[in-house]
Amino acid sequence: MHQSFLGLSATRGHAGSSLRKSVEPGKPPCTRLARLGFALCLVLGFAGCLQAQQSAGKPSDQPPNEDFYLYKQVPDITVQDKAGSTIQLSQIWRDKPVLLTMVFTRCTGVCSPFLNSLKSATSAAGGLGTDYRVLVLSFDPKDSIADMNGMAEDLGLKSNAAWIFGIASPPEIRRLAEATGIWFRWDASVQQYDHPAVVVAIEQGRVVRMLAGATVPVTGLMEVIQELRGKFVASYALPGKVAFRCFEYDPRSGHYTLDWGLLLMVLPATFAILATVWIFFLLPARKRIADSFPVARTY
Amino acid sequence: MELTTDVTNLWSEGDLNKFRRMTLIWGATVLLLLPILASLGYFMRMFQSNFFPHMRPEWFYAVLTLHSLGMVGTWFVGGMAGVSYLLTQYTHPSLAISKLNYWGTLVGVLLLVACTLGGLFGTGWYFLFPLPLYSQGVWQPWATVTFFVALAVLGLCWTIWTLDLLRAIAQRYSLKAALGLNYLLGKPGPDVPPLVLISTVSLIVSFAGFVAAVIVIVLFGVDALGYAIDPLLMKNLTFFFGHILVNITMYLGVAMVYELLPSYAGRPWKTNRVVAIAWDAVLFLILFAFFHHLYMDFAQPRWVQTFGQICSYFLAVPAGVVSIFGCLALVYASKMKWTLASVLFFLGIMGWGVGGIAAVIDSTVEVNFHFHNTLWVPAHFHTYYLMGVVLIILGFIDHLGLEVSKLQESPPRTKAIITLLLLGGYGFLSMFYWAGAHSIPRRYAVYPNELAQGTLYARVAFGFITVLLCGILLYLWETGKRCIKAFSA
Repeated sequence: MHQSFLGLSATRGHAGSSLRKSVEPGKPPCTRLARLGFALCLVLGFAGCLQAQQSAGKPSDQPPNEDFYLYKQVPDITVQDKAGSTIQLSQIWRDKPVLLTMVFTRCTGVCSPFLNSLKSATSAAGGLGTDYRVLVLSFDPKDSIADMNGMAEDLGLKSNAAWIFGIASPPEIRRLAEATGIWFRWDASVQQYDHPAVVVAIEQGRVVRMLAGATVPVTGLMEVIQELRGKFVASYALPGKVAFRCFEYDPRSGHYTLDWGLLLMVLPATFAILATVWIFFLLPARKRIADSFPVARTY
Repeated sequence: MELTTDVTNLWSEGDLNKFRRMTLIWGATVLLLLPILASLGYFMRMFQSNFFPHMRPEWFYAVLTLHSLGMVGTWFVGGMAGVSYLLTQYTHPSLAISKLNYWGTLVGVLLLVACTLGGLFGTGWYFLFPLPLYSQGVWQPWATVTFFVALAVLGLCWTIWTLDLLRAIAQRYSLKAALGLNYLLGKPGPDVPPLVLISTVSLIVSFAGFVAAVIVIVLFGVDALGYAIDPLLMKNLTFFFGHILVNITMYLGVAMVYELLPSYAGRPWKTNRVVAIAWDAVLFLILFAFFHHLYMDFAQPRWVQTFGQICSYFLAVPAGVVSIFGCLALVYASKMKWTLASVLFFLGIMGWGVGGIAAVIDSTVEVNFHFHNTLWVPAHFHTYYLMGVVLIILGFIDHLGLEVSKLQESPPRTKAIITLLLLGGYGFLSMFYWAGAHSIPRRYAVYPNELAQGTLYARVAFGFITVLLCGILLYLWETGKRCIKAFSA
């Protein structure tokens, strides 16, 4: 599958040269027309193929819904890594859990800042290489191993064995993207792919968490890594600013800290004590039994 | 009951008669509400039996909400009215506040009926945040507003009632005496009836519960204004309030048994050090036992869950074991006068024990992983309600009716009532337990094919509820006659 992907790139190069030849002077018109027609057919045909391979999933303004993809099986695709050797995705995840993300090297938008953010976050979170690895795949059929190596080099990650930069055949990339909630769509008007920035945590071939957003928060990544280590993380992230939380979860330590909301939990008992004190000690009482009938008691 | 102190100066005969009459009104209201609310439960089991295939499930949830809130409220006020009346032997509760509560409770109930049966408000009694604010078009905003107004009215009235009873106790007993600290410390002090001790503990705790309810209602309002509130905090507060309200209702019933059963056994049932330790422990433990409702809320730290389990165990043991053992010891080898009231008191305490054991089982974290949100949960709380506090309060109403009307009971009818209540009640409950043990989930209006046995259990339960309702109707006939005569007297 991957060989056909490489073959496609080569053919496109050939088509380009055909077009250039079609405008050479001194050739018979019919020959020129025939060659021009042939070249146009090739261009249109390949363009059609490319269009089919350049999108996956359903575009959305919202980040992928993690709930929909949790514990879903990830397809075992063939990946060509930065050394040029092919490897099954299952071989990667069987060895260690994987953080998967998809980018394209021509990206003028989020890809590079996003990968830089992921790099910083993994450095801060720790455990890279020992507990998990990062797999960066391109969804752009134009990207070659050389392109991905160039991207790794730009990020200073080429020699980092914990970071795997690779490519795969377009159909397999599409399968993988659709199984993990990642979508991409070629936007001809800007000559760029439209796509979300997503990190998918995969353990033993199943999606266990997803992080979406142009930057990767260290605390969020730490939670994900804790889950990849097999630890149960019971955080309760809530959208927006939430007043009166009971607890805060610290993913660095894995511990909970008490938060201001707990004060509200103390209020009922506090009011009950105050009311009891008020009623029994401050309100005027009639002659109390305790005062008037002391009884000697044996136990 | 022989009183340990002279309280003749507390009440004039006329005032006491008025208070007794008010208690009879409360009792009659409870007797009127019982078959209505029980019929709602009957309807729900019929719904789960697929008897109404064309009816919208929204009706099931609206009825569930009214049934659960109605039952909890009815038996709470029944317990409060009973304890208020019995406390008149030792203290001076306010008749005006009892009347205020009567009318306030009626208004609250009418509002609840309006929002549930009129507006299909169907969140269940726990109205778990943020569900009331997201009806998905099932109920209208007015129903949500009406529901919270109803809660506010009921909460306000019941808080005033709670404080008044505490005030009444405080006027005659110091806090040290009311909590039985003399017994704890082994120091000389006055005799404190168990009724006073249990009531003091229950009222202090129930006030805390009502404060939690107020905070919940305020936070709902804050969220409605656009400020996000932590759902975990809301759930903690909701179950703090709910668990306390349900437990306190049971404790009020137990307090009545401590006070009244000795008169049938011909022996005193006095406060001693063990009883004082048991009930004072409740004061602390009940504040934390509610955590067992949140075992499946994994955002709650593990130490909280563990503490919840420990408190749940210790909450059940002192009060439950001491009271059940005390009850058995009181009855054993005594010249017990078995009447409808005394049998209901005895069975009620034992039912509390049965439901308590089921509750302790479910409050174990490992077990709760399997039983959480299955029918085991309604099984245990229906046990200590239906076969516990309900029987005790029915016993109290019968006791009061008999005391005032002097109309003797018919032993064959008493036996028939007891047989029908036991057979129907425990048969109905056994279907809940059986279904829960087989992982049938609760709160399903209709069971899907995968849970078809749930429908079968509901149909069997339907049969048992029919028997139970016959028992309730026979009881109403028997006790109703005494209450009517008591009114005329």
